[in-house]
Amino acid sequence: MEEALVRALIPHELVKVLGVESQSSSKAAVFTEVFLKNSIQQPTRHDLKSMLSHKAVILGYSRPKEKTKRNSKKAKGLNARQKRAMKIFQIKPEQQRYELFLPLHELWKQYIVDLCGGLKPTSSPQFVQQKLLKADFHGAIITVVRSKCSSYVGTTGILVQEFKHVFKIITKEDKMKVIPKRNSVFSVEICGFVSYIYGSKFEQRASERSAKKFKVKGTIDL
Amino acid sequence: MSVDVSPTPQSLLVCDRSSFLDQKNRLNSQVEQLRFNYKVSLLLPECGSAPSHLDSVLNSFSSFCVIRNLPIYELLDRHFLESAVYHGSVYGLSYGTRMDEDNCVALMPNGRLSLSLDKDSYELLGLQGKPSRFNHRTRIRFVVSIDLTDSNMAPGGQGYLRLLTGLKSRLQLQTDFLLSHHPGGIPSLQPLLSRFEWSEHKPKVVHRSLTDLACPVLTSDQWSCDPHSFLEWLGAVDADISSENSSSTFLSSWVCPEPQRPVSQALSVSVCGLLLPQDLHRLTQALRGYLEQPRLESWASMTVHGFVDSVVSWGENEHRVHRGGHNFYTLLMFHNHMYHLHLASEAKDSCPP
Repeated sequence: MEEALVRALIPHELVKVLGVESQSSSKAAVFTEVFLKNSIQQPTRHDLKSMLSHKAVILGYSRPKEKTKRNSKKAKGLNARQKRAMKIFQIKPEQQRYELFLPLHELWKQYIVDLCGGLKPTSSPQFVQQKLLKADFHGAIITVVRSKCSSYVGTTGILVQEFKHVFKIITKEDKMKVIPKRNSVFSVEICGFVSYIYGSKFEQRASERSAKKFKVKGTIDL
Repeated sequence: MSVDVSPTPQSLLVCDRSSFLDQKNRLNSQVEQLRFNYKVSLLLPECGSAPSHLDSVLNSFSSFCVIRNLPIYELLDRHFLESAVYHGSVYGLSYGTRMDEDNCVALMPNGRLSLSLDKDSYELLGLQGKPSRFNHRTRIRFVVSIDLTDSNMAPGGQGYLRLLTGLKSRLQLQTDFLLSHHPGGIPSLQPLLSRFEWSEHKPKVVHRSLTDLACPVLTSDQWSCDPHSFLEWLGAVDADISSENSSSTFLSSWVCPEPQRPVSQALSVSVCGLLLPQDLHRLTQALRGYLEQPRLESWASMTVHGFVDSVVSWGENEHRVHRGGHNFYTLLMFHNHMYHLHLASEAKDSCPP
């Protein structure tokens, strides 16, 4: 919309008195417009142009979904049911022979000797004990020394599998025996050091035991 | 309403009355159930000195032996089993072991080996046993009982080997042992004795003459004297307690049970040691013979005490020492072949037959 500018020239007599110069008409028009814009408040509400232009109204609001970055193909592993179905922890009867596990025992002995930094008769039992607490016992020859159930006492064999609550050992007569850890005391012998393990306090998986802190207790009664 | 407050009973007393001539008298079956006898004490009123045949019986009691530091697995020695356990009856008891504190062993005449073990020893041994009847709340005592005459306990059998390894390598029990055998005596125990330090002992006989004794009047047909007070009087006589009440020392309210009459002299004999029931039987017969002759006083009493620290008390029941651990019987014999039998044990212990 064009506004008609009302303009008039300043009379000659006032030019000299005021000391101003009149600008040319185009310049004056521009100046006048700018001056008006600066001085008059233009509320945005009354901005006709923006009011009449189309506005989009947002009805809902949703965050865009994060893209899962875990697309890596990790080996998921079997759950317990599948493991039981596949029987991967069962040893077949023809493989249950004591002689077959003797090399495992030799390996275990070597491992323990390396773990304790060369087991000498002069090394302190305390130090050996600390190392044994975190060690793995697969392949050790363990004996049940004391037990609340009298029929377990005296069984000796190589430890084949260690679960959370039981030991599976194979005896010299090629018999697999499952011995619960609770309420029993086991003895492990390595190079002349005999360690007694109180089974009730050992009821963790072998992998978790390496991270566990053991409390010092005075005496333990079965 | 008043409540009678009486002290808790300290003993169990079973009283029986019958005659020797009665066919159905249970005397022998009752008396032989006290297997391990420690002491017998006789009281013969109106008797100055022991008659000769009684003396000879007393002196002919079988001797027993004491073995020092016997490892208990030696009782499973093959030769010992064959010579002593399978033939005749062997009586063995661990000596010097306190019943409620240490591990105690008993070898009974019917071939049963009974071990009374504390909890740690039982867990070490590895043989099936039962928790003791007298455990209060926690199980601290266990009894393992093995029949050595059983077929799987034959030397070389599975049970035998397990027991042997248990006693040899897992729990090395070693105690002093009292051992006696009937009918072989010491020679049949020779396979075991030759390897250890042992000593032979004869039961010790002590005679005591008493004068001016106040005796209760005892008749054979009824309980003329209350059994408790009679036994109390008998024990007082045996312990040489005078019933005089001199006010200077201590006023006791114990008196000889009424009705009573004074007796001028009496003989008290006591024999201590591991006594065999067969010897006691012979003693009973000798006393019966003594009473048959006409006497001033018509009764005689014989008290047999069992061991305080024995594993079994009456029969094969477990024994415990709670307030004394006494188990004994008193046989009161009359001249007309009647007898009164009092069998006693502790209050919560096993009941006499």
